[in-house]
Parts: sequence; structure tokens; C-alpha cells
Amino acid sequence: MSALQKNTDRFQSPCGSKAIGNGQTAVTRRRFIGGQCAILGAAALGNLATGSIFAAAGRGQRADNSENPFAYRVDRFEQTNPKLIGYVEARRFKSPCSEPRRMAIGGDQRIYLAGEKRICVIRPDGSVATEIGLTAPPQCVAVANEVLYVGFKDHIEVYAANGTRKAAWEALEGDPYITGLAVAGNELFAADSGNRVVIRYQLDGKIAGRIGARDREAGVIGFVLPSPNLDVETRGDGVIHVNNPGRHRVECYSVAGDLLKWWGKPSAGIEGFCGCCNPIGLALLPDGRFVTCEKGLPRVKVYNANGEFDCVVAGPESFRENARAGAGSTSDPARIGLDAAVDSKGNVYVLDRVTGNIHVMVPKTRSGTAR
Amino acid sequence: MADQEKTSAPVTRRDFLRQGSRVAALTGLGGFAGLLVSKLKSETLVWQIDPAKCLRCGRCATECVLKPSAVKCVHAFALCGYCELCTGYFVPEPNELNTAAENQLCPVSAIKRRWIEDPYYEYTIDETLCIGCGKCVEGCHRFGNGSLFLQVRHNLCLNCNECSIARACPGDAFRRVPVSQPYLLKTSYSHG
Ligand code: SF4
Ligand code: SF4
Ligand code: SF4
Repeated sequence: MSALQKNTDRFQSPCGSKAIGNGQTAVTRRRFIGGQCAILGAAALGNLATGSIFAAAGRGQRADNSENPFAYRVDRFEQTNPKLIGYVEARRFKSPCSEPRRMAIGGDQRIYLAGEKRICVIRPDGSVATEIGLTAPPQCVAVANEVLYVGFKDHIEVYAANGTRKAAWEALEGDPYITGLAVAGNELFAADSGNRVVIRYQLDGKIAGRIGARDREAGVIGFVLPSPNLDVETRGDGVIHVNNPGRHRVECYSVAGDLLKWWGKPSAGIEGFCGCCNPIGLALLPDGRFVTCEKGLPRVKVYNANGEFDCVVAGPESFRENARAGAGSTSDPARIGLDAAVDSKGNVYVLDRVTGNIHVMVPKTRSGTAR
Repeated sequence: MADQEKTSAPVTRRDFLRQGSRVAALTGLGGFAGLLVSKLKSETLVWQIDPAKCLRCGRCATECVLKPSAVKCVHAFALCGYCELCTGYFVPEPNELNTAAENQLCPVSAIKRRWIEDPYYEYTIDETLCIGCGKCVEGCHRFGNGSLFLQVRHNLCLNCNECSIARACPGDAFRRVPVSQPYLLKTSYSHG
């Protein structure tokens, strides 16, 4: 029995079960941790305040932090050293759907954006090619061979490029909250933030395995998710890459579930992952490098194949409104932070979930503005 | 909007006491209900902070007629991530994730950190120390789940006719609420 389970007489489940104890909260192990994914909810908090450069951003009422003797200061991390920025913004366009969550780029170089109750298929120039209407809000999408895999909270649906639904896979058990998908070859991997595991599927919807689950006996901590932002990527080489936000790292597993290696460290500094839980999104560059997305200090960075910091794609100064939104500002955790996808040329498409902007970032070396 | 409405709904004393189990800061305030009733029996309205409007400006610590302030940080455990690296507890770039004073964000060390299970920690507020500065609230809001927030504690508040914090509040977050529903708690979330 875990320490948490022993403490249930003091605590109350965050998922709203009966009150217990004497003025404290918490948690059976399962409900408590499962609840972490339910929670970001942090009801309320429309207005935001962080000082520094964002004070100038404009929206809403703000306190002047220069007068606040108790100001929480992260100013020095909010402006990126220009020498570290390896990309320039080639263009920017608005998401055609509200509440965009995650996106993928297909072999046709189109953007497949999951948001609202639809998948928007967007040409690289930002014009909308088509839209696929859905009956519930999608959380994430993956695309391969002109087939779309759409992740809903508790299950996956398969669509043809023309929008015809081909299959709806069985709902997951437990407390599912699917927040990331990756497809390669004959397999699809689904990052389930609620159950804190990556599900390995065959493309007929059969579950072939579970990756990264906590195993107390074996001392495996598993995925730590203060907020539901588990993501998964693969190059189809038998290795999957999964963010572990609460441990501030990216983990690489064999498809059989063996942890092969991990990299990353907590730091508000540019080389690390900031806050309580980052990175929240991953993408893979064609040359073997990784793209990571963070919230709190919204920034997108590139790490080399060994997990060493390479360069910044875009720093907090590119996402001012997003930074001001902060994590506690919405009851929908999928509406904060950033997501990224990469095209075949190595351009990085960054989705700002707060503003709905998609930033098309091109390597400086190719844009003629080499560092 | 719906979230704000949820937050803004005043909480009855009965609910508040029940929710005491969700709000860490209420521990050690057993006499609170009785105090509230005796002090405010004849009054109908008391001051409270709407957490949806609070900008964490620091004035709750400096403007209250009481020193230390009647405003305290409270913790909605239901929203907490129990993070090892709690951004409400630690300075933005701590040397180590331990309880050494130089690593703590709170200027008066009012937040207590307790290991629960690897890698989860529980954070509780010692209200006798808290000065209501809101620094931890901002750290939690910016990077964490927003489970820390400020409330006027009615076992302390003098219920001034014109609250001097309300006058200075840049977020217009202070408002009068019925004495029978004196708290505006963050307790709900809407995942799925
Ligand atoms: S004065 Fe208003 S905005 Fe400032 S910390 Fe207090 S409630 Fe929040
Ligand atoms: S940081 Fe300020 S508001 Fe938070 S517990 Fe310490 S004194 Fe109270
Ligand atoms: S009413 Fe008076 S005692 Fe209460 S918070 Fe305002 S200034 Fe402080």
C-alpha cells in the first residue's frame, strides 16, 4: 500500500468523491494522480498578471509589477538571446477553428488541425482545403497514407481523407484522456494522459501493448502529469519518444515498452524545461533532432539527437498573450501552451493554443539570415 | 465565462466548512465558525476576493489595516498537481528541490512541503505566517494549476466599512458577499 493510500483518511479525492478527514484533501493513489489530469481546470481566473515585458501586451487590467515588492519575477527568462534563435517566422495565419488543440502535418504537407468539433485541413499557405465535422471535440490527430486518426478523450476514430468515418475504436478503460497520437507503419501510438500510459495499437484498433506505465514493484515512476499534456512521436524506427512533463524530460522507449534512454532537465534557463511540468509537446525533425514546446514560459526549442540544446525556434517574446494566459487561467488544460509539427523540409509549425495563431518557422540557414 | 461564474458563486458557511477538506489553509481554524457568527451576527455583507479577478499585485499584503493582513493564501487541493517542482513553493531557479530557505519563494516561509510518494509532494499554508502577498499564487497560476489563491479570512478581518485593500485593488477583485456565504472558492474544474 502506498503512502498516499494510507493517507486517505486525511484526504479527499480531487475528483469529487466524498469528503473525508479533517480539513485536508486528498487522495487515493489512483484518483489523486488520475485527478491531476482532470484538474488543470483550476476553475476561473480570467485575468492574469505577470509583470515584465508582458505588462505591455495590452489586454485586460494589470497590476504594475514595478510597484509590487512581492512580484514573482521571471523577466530574465522572458527575452531570448537573439544568438540562440535558429529560426525566423516566414508567415503566420489564424486557425480556422476555435479552441485548437494539436496538429499534424501529412505527407501532402498539409496541416491537420484538431479543434472545436472538427479537423481542419489547411494548405501550407494558410488557406483551408477542407474540414471534417466531428460529433465531439478532438484532442489530437495523426495522419498517414491519407488516413486520419483522430484522438477523442477516450477513444480513436479513423477517417478517410474525404471525411468518411471508417472506424471508431473501442473506448479505453480507466480514466482515459488521449492527448497525443503518432502513427508509423502498421502501428499507432496514443498518449493517454488520464491513465498515464502510451497505448500501442494495431491499425485495426486492437491493442498490442502499453508503454511507460507506472510499476511500483519495479520502481518505475512512470509518466508524471500535473497537467494532461502527454505527447508521443515516432519515426517508425521501432523507437517512440514521449514527454514526461513532471520529470522535465523526454523518454525514448522501444515499441515493446523498454525505456532506452531519456534526456532533459528542469530549468527556467533556456537549456532546460521550465515550471512544474514541461515539455508539453514534441515534434521530430527529419534530421534526427527534436522540437519541444513549453508552457508558462511559452517557447519552442530544438535539441539534438543526444538531447543537447541546439537552438530556439521561438521564445516567450513571440507568444506574449500565451504567456500571460498562464496555466491557471482556464478550465480546459488543452487551451494553454503550444503545439508543434514539422514538415518534410524541417520547417516548424507552431500552434499557439491561446491566440489560435499558427506560426510558420523556417530555419535561418535556409532563410538567408544565418545565425 | 462559465468558469468565472463557478468561481464567483459565493460559498455558504456550511459548504465552506465542508470544503475545508479541500482547502488546506483552513486547518487550525476550528474556532472560525463561532467567531464569524459572533462577530458578524448583525451584518449582512462581508468582503471577499474573487479569485477570477485577482491580479496578484501584492497590495493585499500592504494595504490591509491589519498587520499582517487579513488576506491569506488558501490551497484547493483538488486542483493541485502535487508537483515535485512546485512553482508556488520554489523560486524560479532553485539551487535544489529542498526546503532550504534560499530555495523558497514565500518571503515568510509560510508554505510547508511534505513528501507523499515519489515524486509527489503536498503543500500546505501556515496561515499564522502568511502575509497574503500573493507571490506563491502568481507562481502557481503562471506555471502550475492555479490551485493557490487569496481569500479574506473572516476570523481575522475587521469587516471595515470601506476595505482599504478594496480601494487599492487594481483588479476590482474585492466585493461584498453575504455573511452566510463568505468565501469564493476555486473548487471546480471541467475536464471532459
Ligand atoms: S489587491 Fe486585488 S489584485 Fe491585488 S492581490 Fe489583492 S485581490 Fe489581488
Ligand atoms: S508567498 Fe505570500 S501569499 Fe503565499 S504563503 Fe507566502 S506569504 Fe502567503
Ligand atoms: S475589511 Fe479591513 S481588515 Fe478586512 S481585509 Fe479589508 S482592510 Fe483588512
